Amino acid sequence: MCYIEAVATHLNLTHDIKEVVPDATLRRRMSRIVKMATAAAFECTGGVQGIAALDAIVTATGLGCLTDSERFLEQIHRTGGQMLNPTPFIQSTFNTVGAQIALLAKNRCYNMTYVHRSRSFESALTDAMLQLKEGDARRVLAGAFDENTPTQHHIMERMGFWRKAEDGEGAVFTLLTAEATANSMARVSRVEFLSSPLSEQQCRERYATCSDGQVWRSLDKTVYPCRSALRFAEAVEEVRKGVPEIVVYNEYFGKEPTVIVLQCL
Amino acid sequence: MKIAVSGIGIVSCLGIGMEANRAAISRQESGIVPKSRFLSAPSAFPVGEVPFCNADLALRAGLGERCLYSRTALLGILAVQEALADSGEGKDLRTGLVSGTSVGGMDRTEVFYADYLSDPAHGRLRDVAMHDCAASTLAIARHCGIEGYTTTISTACSSAANAILAAARLIRCGIADRVVAGGTDVLSLFTLGGFGSLMILDKKPCRPFDADRAGLNLGEGAGYIVLQREDTLQKEPYAYFAGGENANDAYHQTASSATGEGCYKAMHDTLRKAGVAASQIDYVNAHGTGTLNNDLSESRALCRLFGDKVPPFSSTKGFTGHTLAAAGGIEAVFSVEALRRGVIYPNLNFFRPMEETGLVPVTESREAPLRYVLSNSLGFGGNCTALLFSKN
Amino acid sequence: METLVRELKEHLIRELNLEDITPEDIDSKAPLFGDEGLGLDSIDALEIILILEKNYGIKLQNSAEAKPVFYSVETLAEYIAKNRR
Repeated sequence: MCYIEAVATHLNLTHDIKEVVPDATLRRRMSRIVKMATAAAFECTGGVQGIAALDAIVTATGLGCLTDSERFLEQIHRTGGQMLNPTPFIQSTFNTVGAQIALLAKNRCYNMTYVHRSRSFESALTDAMLQLKEGDARRVLAGAFDENTPTQHHIMERMGFWRKAEDGEGAVFTLLTAEATANSMARVSRVEFLSSPLSEQQCRERYATCSDGQVWRSLDKTVYPCRSALRFAEAVEEVRKGVPEIVVYNEYFGKEPTVIVLQCL
Repeated sequence: MKIAVSGIGIVSCLGIGMEANRAAISRQESGIVPKSRFLSAPSAFPVGEVPFCNADLALRAGLGERCLYSRTALLGILAVQEALADSGEGKDLRTGLVSGTSVGGMDRTEVFYADYLSDPAHGRLRDVAMHDCAASTLAIARHCGIEGYTTTISTACSSAANAILAAARLIRCGIADRVVAGGTDVLSLFTLGGFGSLMILDKKPCRPFDADRAGLNLGEGAGYIVLQREDTLQKEPYAYFAGGENANDAYHQTASSATGEGCYKAMHDTLRKAGVAASQIDYVNAHGTGTLNNDLSESRALCRLFGDKVPPFSSTKGFTGHTLAAAGGIEAVFSVEALRRGVIYPNLNFFRPMEETGLVPVTESREAPLRYVLSNSLGFGGNCTALLFSKN
Repeated sequence: METLVRELKEHLIRELNLEDITPEDIDSKAPLFGDEGLGLDSIDALEIILILEKNYGIKLQNSAEAKPVFYSVETLAEYIAKNRR
């Protein structure tokens, strides 16, 4: 159990990247996804002071910083591994976003990155909740991001992934606290990895605690590893508006089902 | 709640399994070779390469030799099999897996990519099917019959150490009874090119903590330990997990701060939380990659924490090379072995202390009754983790 | 020399992705690294080593030995003029 104090997604960013990352040296190395995710973290925490007040930063990504990974692979192929520019290699690391967030406020707190495909965000959420539960942290920033590139899209197209689904990308961050505050929007009561898929009826039977709550299964065709983080953000908004409970069920191409249960305060 | 270490498993350039690794180390024999045998393109740098091709690894893991798993998954499976067998059956236990990796299936992806770049219709899809980091973890879990909480961590060179931290938390919070935790990473053109572009690869065998050190040697391997709630043990454990903390250097995307802020904080917070005094630490398995920056930064952190009483310490990377996301797992295995057998593994290729700190690591295998061992893992993004293991 | 300085500035802007900076904004005598001047760091030093190697055939072994050479655009240009192939 933990409380949600804020949520920000790539869809509701209000600060210019130069405001988010005033250090030009940091900024000029950032790829689009790193900027997008860092801006979402900034938005969620309310800025540098909010980041400085965090006790833990937990990020998640299914495929990481793909543009930089592809750039570096392409360089290796073109040059035979000689005279390579280090910047895309450095920036391709999965914990780049978490590290950039820490650098913004020189925050030396716990900094973790989960890369478990469509369960990355849920892994980060679990880590955050356990830290809050154990009392190691009082304010934890958890977030997820994934980037869509033409190469990744094309390779997955060749694998047949887009016959029934559409590709997507995004960045979502949420600020979690152990105790409810005046700003709390909702609470997370459960995060679970399921061993097999569940129907809507099964989700309701197993997870619903009240009759007027909702069960959300993937409602549209968009699929990417951290897609469930955006569903989470949308559900938080609905709970804040008055829906008493939402069971957010997610699958990734019919596999690796997870459940997040959100409740109103 | 006490968390015990009930099993260990390791694959490195020294060999497959703890026995092979122990035997090589006791002979002071490094596993680092001048040239890779299995990389898809030549490299001018020495490497710590596991001396078996993928087909051999697959056969040894009980898979068909035509198995399509990435090398990352194969090394991971071999180490996890050993660790689980060592830990005991555990039929009624909820067993989880937390695995760290930084390259995932990159060794196969780069083969695919070479063809793909020449023509986007080319490249065998099975070569890129295990690209993402989770793929190796899921293959390990499937093949080793692990059905509990499973996840993957990637924080560069501290990944496996962080996997161990996460595993301990899962046990403390009642999500699992025992968790196999560590990491697996393989040599790839991507990482060789990457560390080469940073100009921190040594053309000679690496010399951790030496005044004339000139960089690291990349290695590959897998190292896992089994953490288990004490009341579920089926055997005498090797050691106990006494604590661990992660901290961020928050200094630079790749370089460590000159004062080792993050490393100091990780070690300091670990001791404080565990209620263990700095004077009780009997051995530190240092990160000690052999780069100018890392070893100075880490040395300064050691001096800050321990003052003029820095305990015996060594980097074992002269034996294994720097195995990136696996390093924290392999070194956790060595730390547990140190406690179990009362022996400190030496630091190879050390001749002269650096002027800035004058620190001298342990250079010969030394027997000593050890109670507390600290293991450091430091990664890109300022990611610093210290793990503390105890005899009792 | 002036052409070389201009060319070098253009390389720096492109390779280091210096946003919103024109060659005119870069003071040839100002320090490239540290808090004054352009504020470049160790990763930029590696990128500059590549600029020298790719464009002027100059091979520097590591950034430490390059320190006086890398002081400013001017010192870099002088070194290139002397050592280029």
